[in-house]
Amino acid sequence: MNNDFKKSVLQFFQSLPAYTQDMEAACMAIVDAFEEPVRKKKGDIITELSPPNKDFWFLHQGYLKELYKNKFQSDDTLFNFIPPGSVFVNEDSLFYNQRPQHYFKAYTDVSIVGLKIENFETLRIKFPAVIQLYLSGTAEIQRNRRSRLLMLRMQSTQDRINWVREQRGDLYKVLDRVTLAQYIGVSRASLYRAFDKTGKSQY
Amino acid sequence: MSLDKDYATIFQALQEYVRPEEELDYENLGKLARSFVIKTVNQDENLWELSSSNAQLHFILSGAFGEYLVQGKNPQLIRFYRKEKFAFSEDMILYSARPATYAKCLVEARVASIPANVLMSYVQRSQEGVKLLTGLIELSMTEYRNTTYEMLQTSGTDRINAALEQFPDLLNIIPRKELADYLGISRASLFRSLKQIDIE
Repeated sequence: MNNDFKKSVLQFFQSLPAYTQDMEAACMAIVDAFEEPVRKKKGDIITELSPPNKDFWFLHQGYLKELYKNKFQSDDTLFNFIPPGSVFVNEDSLFYNQRPQHYFKAYTDVSIVGLKIENFETLRIKFPAVIQLYLSGTAEIQRNRRSRLLMLRMQSTQDRINWVREQRGDLYKVLDRVTLAQYIGVSRASLYRAFDKTGKSQY
Repeated sequence: MSLDKDYATIFQALQEYVRPEEELDYENLGKLARSFVIKTVNQDENLWELSSSNAQLHFILSGAFGEYLVQGKNPQLIRFYRKEKFAFSEDMILYSARPATYAKCLVEARVASIPANVLMSYVQRSQEGVKLLTGLIELSMTEYRNTTYEMLQTSGTDRINAALEQFPDLLNIIPRKELADYLGISRASLFRSLKQIDIE
């Protein structure tokens, strides 16, 4: 396997809880079905995921912001911050055949690779393990969402900051303060007050 | 409500995920709907517990439940299950692991349930079964997304408004104490916010 991104995609599948040795052939077939990487500059919108794209995407390098239009705020809101080695999709298009409510923006320069939905369907028919991997990947996203919800319910901003530092150190070290405030669901002012109070800086 | 009507409701809910095309698929789905066992659950009783080992898929015919995640000292109310929704412990169904959550009845309920092995046998027998399981997991993922929208609001009032958008009957069904816990605000803040949006 020559391509660096293929190794990352394979690692992703091998790290899923549902993965077993006998799924190796299915994993290799999925990896081979991914297209060549697409590179985007920091600040670019990932137009590849514009409607009605139902493909699966893998973030090989860099970080992405997943944003949505928040009816209760004037600016678009950060829904999620995606680290390298993650799969991301248009959920609304893929699950419900609807126009996506979210869009993705490059937080740093990024490299992404896509798996076309038609290729996924072909693989699903050929390898029954593909659906188990799909379910496991989806369940992992849920587990992360569930865990983050606990943080978002914490009443103290400091507790939320501590949660990100301890539970998502990989994100904490790259998030600027504005994005950190959005990730933990507080205003910038509250975040700055929390840092002032403890006398600690972010890093 | 007659049992036949209950089973028709369950069948219809299953059908939304499975969308059978062949007559045999309809028959199999009908059999699956009929294998649900209906019971009444009283307020404060658990639908599943942290110590539960018998995984089940539940369908809420009436009433409401809160799902609590236990990490650290205090259980946190992470979402509600209401009428005509499926409910299940993802830990048990997907990972065959002990649940990290429990589901407590908030309003007396009637619930239809099947053991996980009946569900899994249906999943293994047919493509329709795979569609059902996939659909249930995707729905669960969407519900977590909706809850995240609510929690990302920085004021109590906006959190209530965002929650009402997802669940318009929320204030009529969920007791105020649980609602405050769910929104991550104090009861005093909840009442202040409700007054502000002219609900109380």
